[in-house]
Amino acid sequence: MHDKPNGSNTSVTQLPAMPVGGITCVALGLFLFSCAPTRPFQPVTSLTADAAPPPRYSITYVIHGDGNYLYHDTGGSKHRADEEALTRAASVATRNPHAEVLIFHQRPKRRLLWLFSPFRDGTFYYYRHGQLLDKVSYRRNRGQTRFDPEVELYNQYHLEGQPQQVRLFLYFGHEIPELDGSGYDASYKTWSFTIDDLAGGLSSLARHSTRFDLVVLSTCFNGTPHTVGALAPYTRYIIASPGNLHLSYYDLRPLEQLDVGLRDGDVSTFATQLARHAFDRLTQDVQTEITAAVYDVDRVEGYLDTVDDVYESALARLGGEARPPPERFDCAEDPAYVSNGMADGVTVFFRASRFGREKNKATHSGWECTR
Amino acid sequence: MSLKKVAGIIVMTCFLVHVGHAQAQEGLQTYFSEVASKVKAMDDPAEKREVTAKSLQTMAEAVDRVQRSRMISKEDRARLEQLKATVQDKQDELAGLNGFERVPDGQLNAFVDYVVQDMEQAERTITISLVAALLIVIILILIV
Repeated sequence: MHDKPNGSNTSVTQLPAMPVGGITCVALGLFLFSCAPTRPFQPVTSLTADAAPPPRYSITYVIHGDGNYLYHDTGGSKHRADEEALTRAASVATRNPHAEVLIFHQRPKRRLLWLFSPFRDGTFYYYRHGQLLDKVSYRRNRGQTRFDPEVELYNQYHLEGQPQQVRLFLYFGHEIPELDGSGYDASYKTWSFTIDDLAGGLSSLARHSTRFDLVVLSTCFNGTPHTVGALAPYTRYIIASPGNLHLSYYDLRPLEQLDVGLRDGDVSTFATQLARHAFDRLTQDVQTEITAAVYDVDRVEGYLDTVDDVYESALARLGGEARPPPERFDCAEDPAYVSNGMADGVTVFFRASRFGREKNKATHSGWECTR
Repeated sequence: MSLKKVAGIIVMTCFLVHVGHAQAQEGLQTYFSEVASKVKAMDDPAEKREVTAKSLQTMAEAVDRVQRSRMISKEDRARLEQLKATVQDKQDELAGLNGFERVPDGQLNAFVDYVVQDMEQAERTITISLVAALLIVIILILIV
């Protein structure tokens, strides 16, 4: 059993057997409730009138849970990846007295008798100085673009900190597609979500200051030239996996002690420690391939410029309907992607799968390509 | 039939469809996890190998039958082919066929964990429809 953040109440309510009249009453009640004004978009002046010093760190989590996130550990126990990520995020939030932590949990939409959905499918938690200050339910299908509801809440709650405030953004979910992102959300089959949508969201969040200091993508297959290039304008460092990432995700426990890890304000060293810790933790239980790469965005730009045309052409060829899933490979295996600057600015932690055709692979460039 | 009964049937149908969706997703993932738990509880490597091989064979048969079903779309058929190839690789590695080194006796527990983890990951990259997933689960239940 995993603890949820304080006051969390995200469990699914089972409808007991009841007469039709009772169901109608409940449905009507929920419908009326669903029409009630949404609290989260009211001003939160009480939160800004805080006497404590402004936070040194600002951490934003987006945890996607609208899909199949079930996995089994080696003991055979079932886990919900998004719920576990939420628990860990709450732990980071309560253990950092000098941080503000904004957590967005994107949950599946629940329908009432297949007719309509009176339930909100997003939950936002706002922590500051180790305390949960607010928890808000919101609808994810508001706004014109994918992250509008999250951006609106962020703007409302985020407190500009000290000039040197360290800003981190973490995304937990399945691979963020580079093409055709339809079906990413199980509840909204017609919605599309691609890495460019995430970049758009980061763009809206980043306008508060300059770039984020670190973006962590706890997803599969996002350590690619296109993804890193798309996010590059909005962050200084990126941690991502070029290969498959087990659903137990990156264990980012060093985030629980930011005053220690970022004592010198050295984000580069901290990002490397974070990736190493996550890698070491995964190697204990996972038999499939494990890769964690740290990208120093300014230093990889040269390589991205070199391979941009080749990579984009490959992506364009993969577009269209009824194509088989793309074949993925280490970019170092194709001469078209190999160049002298390929390793510049990339720190890679790699262990091959213990079994399978790739078990003898010794190294990984940190860049994944598709064909 | 009274209005009350019709409403009851509609409610029950919605409930079963909802449960079916969840069951299909979880059923496939749980299948190999249960096999892994069973294998790890055994002492005899020959027995471990036999149970693992049988479970992979059962899955391959289930996927094969669903692939031949008329209820399956062309796209699903192609994805099921990939799923079958993934299962076939594991069968070959366990037995040491088609260029694979045979999994040593001392690594059979790690191998079943690999099967669970790799199949869970494959399920995310090879996205089959609800109908296909449900059919596989039903056939697995009938075969086992």
